[in-house]
Amino acid sequence: MEFFRKTLDPMVALAAIAILEIFLFLVIGAWTVGGGETMMTGLIAKAFLGDELERLPFWTLVFPVHGDYWKIYISLGMLFGAVVGAVASKEFYLRIPRRLSEWVLITLGGLLMGIGIRLAFVCNVSTFFGLTPEMNLGGYIAISGIVAGAWVGSLIYKRILEG
Amino acid sequence: MSTVAECVVAFIFGSVVGLLVQRSRFCNTAALRDAIMFKSYRNTKALLVAMMILTVAFTTFMTLGAGHPLEFDVGFNQFIGLFLFGVGMVLAGACTVSTWVKTGEGNLGALWALLFTFIGMFLFSVVWSWNYWPPAPASMTGEPNLAALQLGFANARTLQDKLGVPAVVFGLVQTAALFAIYRAIRRKEMAQHAKHERAAAEHRAAVADKPAAAPAAAGGPGVKVVAGGRR
Repeated sequence: MEFFRKTLDPMVALAAIAILEIFLFLVIGAWTVGGGETMMTGLIAKAFLGDELERLPFWTLVFPVHGDYWKIYISLGMLFGAVVGAVASKEFYLRIPRRLSEWVLITLGGLLMGIGIRLAFVCNVSTFFGLTPEMNLGGYIAISGIVAGAWVGSLIYKRILEG
Repeated sequence: MSTVAECVVAFIFGSVVGLLVQRSRFCNTAALRDAIMFKSYRNTKALLVAMMILTVAFTTFMTLGAGHPLEFDVGFNQFIGLFLFGVGMVLAGACTVSTWVKTGEGNLGALWALLFTFIGMFLFSVVWSWNYWPPAPASMTGEPNLAALQLGFANARTLQDKLGVPAVVFGLVQTAALFAIYRAIRRKEMAQHAKHERAAAEHRAAVADKPAAAPAAAGGPGVKVVAGGRR
């Protein structure tokens, strides 16, 4: 099938996603990833800590843990869709970062992303595909933050690349 | 809509998104990082197109009171949070979407980033449970709360309610602004393309000139000189 042989123009892909998201906005809400990831964090923590988790008020006041939170299923769906796409196009194979420095950067980057999402109450997806199109004041604040962060991150990355 | 139906709709939406992102190699990190570092705008343009479509659609439905816009107070925490996120995504080489999509392609680095995103979220929950900032949703009022560095809640719909102008009008203004950015990028790309074309033409001309000029200097047959030039 041609779709799995050629790379799709990202402009076409994002336009299709945007049109689909309009329906999602009408029935449940705009596309977001950070909320689902937070709930998954709570579910994993609850599996390890049990009721002890409720000693942290965050998990009762901000994110009471429950598995039927729809945002979780967007992330699981993305994983499923990506597996289907990768397998059908014969692009699925194990990729393992080789250098220790890569593992360190990924670890640090992952931690910053997790802390940042929770501090802001939004992720990059809800910033660009939810808040800003809704003209929410938070969207403009978040965009200035992410652009400034990406710029600083790029400077750090450039310095590392240059050794 | 029932909870189960919501989860099914979300899963179907996510699956299509995962498939399209995997096939297009779209990445939000690349949309910002490549524009800043490499002056390459492939992903940036796609992001802008999606934002233009969504702005028109969301504000149209918000004018009519339809849809489910996000509603919570915003403030300084959005800036710091997304600043940290921006640094993190460049270092990790992936954003929230691409960590899931790359994991689905078998990328263990992306899975590792995802795992540490979860750990970062849990660490934040520990800190929040100590300082209670930013305010929990239950204590949000929609009004500015400067002591907590909160500006309150405002979107296209609240503008419509306060100013009596339909939300879609503001949406069209924002779309025009996004389109202006898109056009500026296209102009920049065309200028880059023209520059590359000129450089390529100059290079071709220089290569074409060499065989004629060099044999005279070398005093030998042209073939040898052409081969030397290619090296």
